[in-house]
Amino acid sequence: MEIDVRHIAKLAKLEIPEQEIPKMEQELSSIVSMVEKLPELVSKDSLLDPENTMELRPDVVQPSFARDEMLKNAPDTAAGCLMVPKVVE
Amino acid sequence: MKKLYEYSATELAALLRAKEVSAAEIATSSLDRIAAVEDQIDAYLTVTADEALATAKRVDEKIAAGEEIAPLAGIPIAIKDNICTKSIKTTCASRMLENFVPPYDATVMEKLNAQDIVVTGKVNMDEFAMGGSCENSYFKKTKNPWDTSRVPGGSSGGSAAAVAACEVPLALGSDTGGSVRCPASFCGIVGLKPTYGAVSRYGLVAFASSLDQIGPFGRTVDDVSLLYGAICGRDVRDATSRETALGKVEGSVKGLRLGIPKEYFGEGISAEVKASVYAAAEQLRGLGAEIVEISLPSTDYALAAYYIISSAEASSNLARYDGVKYGFSGNREGTLNDLYLSTRSQGFGAEVKRRIMLGTYVLSSGYYDAYYKRAKLLQNVIAKEFANAFTKCDAILTPVNPTTAFRLGEKCDDPVQMYASDVCTVTVNIAGLPGISFPCGKDGAGLPIGMQVIGPKFSETRLLSIAKSYETAVGGFAVKEM
Repeated sequence: MEIDVRHIAKLAKLEIPEQEIPKMEQELSSIVSMVEKLPELVSKDSLLDPENTMELRPDVVQPSFARDEMLKNAPDTAAGCLMVPKVVE
Repeated sequence: MKKLYEYSATELAALLRAKEVSAAEIATSSLDRIAAVEDQIDAYLTVTADEALATAKRVDEKIAAGEEIAPLAGIPIAIKDNICTKSIKTTCASRMLENFVPPYDATVMEKLNAQDIVVTGKVNMDEFAMGGSCENSYFKKTKNPWDTSRVPGGSSGGSAAAVAACEVPLALGSDTGGSVRCPASFCGIVGLKPTYGAVSRYGLVAFASSLDQIGPFGRTVDDVSLLYGAICGRDVRDATSRETALGKVEGSVKGLRLGIPKEYFGEGISAEVKASVYAAAEQLRGLGAEIVEISLPSTDYALAAYYIISSAEASSNLARYDGVKYGFSGNREGTLNDLYLSTRSQGFGAEVKRRIMLGTYVLSSGYYDAYYKRAKLLQNVIAKEFANAFTKCDAILTPVNPTTAFRLGEKCDDPVQMYASDVCTVTVNIAGLPGISFPCGKDGAGLPIGMQVIGPKFSETRLLSIAKSYETAVGGFAVKEM
């Protein structure tokens, strides 16, 4: 089983140092090989659990969190907004 | 003479009502015990001494004023550090959330705080609850009170170690693939993984949302029952939660049919563990249960299905850590992509990255059907096998772990070997069932062995009753002297 670690890392937004790629490849392969032994199953069943039909709460307007409370954990804010690096020229 | 910190929550609640001790004395005794043994155990990431004493004072004032107090009022508890506590740091034992202070309480915390429970602090875990030894914490390695060269189990290792070392009578953990039951077993205490949906997950930092469940720890079955009864039930903020309540825990197994699935006693399980669990089953037979042999043929596939489903959900859930909204923030001088990459690469530890990578892979284009869909179909098969088994028996007896607590560092280099220790516990999460772990003997080195009892959905009262019946028959579970 060949796993393109660089491609997966790009999708996952993770930097895997070049020298760690072989190890990561080997680890992922050994985990994935556990899966190879799974039987082929053909089923028309839904992937959702029929016994656990989720219950929605009534859609009622309620007080929410205060903005300044929610921004307290943010690394950088300005004028009550989250700051990010410039994304458009 | 028995020290105050050695009493169970149930005993402390009675002493408090009889005015034989004050809540302040109980809290002080717990905090002193933490100060005395923490350097050997390393269970705590944050000790909230001031808050604990303030709550205790409030309880004493209520008692002095003749007010009614709640069942858990004045009882010390440790909280796993992935359960949000308002104004108290909640780190998930990760660099990513090292300085995260939740602006809200998890539903379980709201319920417990309403009872004036005394929170002594936040305890260690594997980073984002990924692991079975507590060694994946960014901050420290928690030790097993029975032998401090060994792991306490994981991921809720801090919770179990704190209870086993008598730092607190109660703790909350969370269980995605065995993270309550495994450390309970390694540390010789009682741990309950409730039915999926029995306890609200609101405020539990998500790992694998379809498998995660908050569960209680204690040194006695009564204590675990008391805590479970306080946290279970429907919560509108968790759409998967259900109305449920704890019934009367009779402590009897008379007339119950208990199933032994041969697949859980295979060659990967140590001889000592098997012998202990069989002996405990014999004891339950002596107490009036009927032991029946059953089969759960898909057990062998459960581990692979578990690692696919949990890693897939983890990779989605952990996408939120982007260095923008909260938590660790990496390089802010470059592009937005630089910020994402540096934040996630520096903020997550090795095991978390491995699971995100695995999850991203199994969900990636072209592989979804081969892995994720196959695992989800297998999940249905496993759930049906359990449902079928429960037509032949009322509960199922198995080991919790293949071995007793292993040494620190012993399994760190081989993820597959580490994952294999979850073989007896993951099926319960996959099928959404409740499972309890309680001590059923010791190995040659004196380390605790745990027995797991699995029941149909929402059969917590029955599981606790079976555990209590065994506990009473053996005269209570041993506590490690420290």
